[in-house]
Amino acid sequence: MVIGKKANMVAIVDDDDLMRSALQGLLKSVGLPAQAFGSAEEFLKSGQQHQVGCLVADIRMPGMSGLELQAKLNADHCRIPTIFITAHGDEKMRMQALRAGAVEFLTKPFNDEALLESVRAALER
Amino acid sequence: MGYPNKAKWSARPVVGYGLALVSVAAAAGMTEVFLHFHLPLAFNSFAFSAIAIIFWYGGTGPGIFAAVLSALVRSYVFDPEINSISRVLYDLVYLVFALLMTGATRARDELEVRVAERTKELTRANEDLKLEIAERNRAEEALRQSQADLAQANRVTTMGELTASLAHEVNQPIAAAVTDASTCLRWLTRDEPDMKEAREAASRMVKDASRAAEIISRIRALFKKGSPQRELVDINQIIREMVELMRSDATRHSISVRLELAAGLPQFIGDRVQLQQVLMNLVVNSIDAMKGVDGTRELAIQSQRADDDQLQVSISDTGVGLPPQQADQIFNAFFTTKTHGTGMGLRISRTIVESHGGRLWASGNSPRGASFCFTLPVNADEHMSDAHS
Repeated sequence: MVIGKKANMVAIVDDDDLMRSALQGLLKSVGLPAQAFGSAEEFLKSGQQHQVGCLVADIRMPGMSGLELQAKLNADHCRIPTIFITAHGDEKMRMQALRAGAVEFLTKPFNDEALLESVRAALER
Repeated sequence: MGYPNKAKWSARPVVGYGLALVSVAAAAGMTEVFLHFHLPLAFNSFAFSAIAIIFWYGGTGPGIFAAVLSALVRSYVFDPEINSISRVLYDLVYLVFALLMTGATRARDELEVRVAERTKELTRANEDLKLEIAERNRAEEALRQSQADLAQANRVTTMGELTASLAHEVNQPIAAAVTDASTCLRWLTRDEPDMKEAREAASRMVKDASRAAEIISRIRALFKKGSPQRELVDINQIIREMVELMRSDATRHSISVRLELAAGLPQFIGDRVQLQQVLMNLVVNSIDAMKGVDGTRELAIQSQRADDDQLQVSISDTGVGLPPQQADQIFNAFFTTKTHGTGMGLRISRTIVESHGGRLWASGNSPRGASFCFTLPVNADEHMSDAHS
């Protein structure tokens, strides 16, 4: 499936280098440009928040967590459609993320189609 | 106390008396030779020698016989004109000499018996000592085995506490591998497959799987029982490996990890698994100390070169700190402030560090928290003991 290109880029925020490379490779295979960041702080410092059409973020990271990043972006009126990917998924966390406006909450290892569908839905918002 | 006559020929008295006769005759013969050459009368000297020899080797009886015979030979062969008073005096000299020799041979016999008894005692003591040494070696081996079992139990228990973290660490590379595999298939199943991109995805998959295998291998090494393995180790590498295994546990509790590892630290001979165990115990303790603490939660691990060819590693936290008024007891066996703790982690850690020739101590941090520091000598192969922990 090749998703139709939009001007928006996908930002990947995950402290694990292998996961960042894997996600970038997956998005590239469907023609989506992606930029990877090793931490929430790095993403915020980059100033890319307003050029990004979708955010794929890990929940548990050293320093600022994915949920804290979402809260920060919301507080800064920068509502980027966010997809959370995590190895520590529990229902409470899932509800918290979705209530805060997350598009999807996926548990690692996730289905690639499910992720790509969520990215498409996020970019079309 | 009568001591057995230990003279050599005491079992054959005939031989002893016969030799007494021969030796006195020899003394007389030697004297005749002297006289022939107009040399001074030397019978006394030869006779005393003969008497001494017969007493020593022939026994008291033959010795006395030699003394009497010598006195007679002297009086009636070599000095027949001697007056009776002189004869008596000479006989007295021979008598005294015989008595002296009797005493000497008795003393010798007594000494030999005592030496034999003492030798028997020493042999018995030696056998007892050998048995005791063997028993002690067995006990030390049993103690070493117990310590190794305890250390392994400590590792297993601590690893059990880290189960969630370890599962996460393995899950990460597996998740990445699944994504890379899907990506690889996407490139291959296109109308025009892109082999370059597919190869890159496959290469990433290999890296992902290798990392998972490496993590499992490290975990397995920590679970392994066994005697210490000495090898060249890099303390910074050990620190990084353990931090990787426990990073997600730290993240789960919102604890940031800061590493300040000095570059160029020398390698040294040590046991990798044991040192990993020390780091694991100290880091888990620090994480536990910071759970539920408000404010900054930071774990800082520092390595540096210290004085006198030592390396120093410190693990500092911003947790609850050392237990008040019990700070000197924290390294005691079975001391714990945790509801679920065994109380052996710090004790075992100290034993391991000391077996490497180092030192482990704790101190409080300001405004809060604790620091655990340990040193390791760079030339550890001269210090590492056989203590297993």
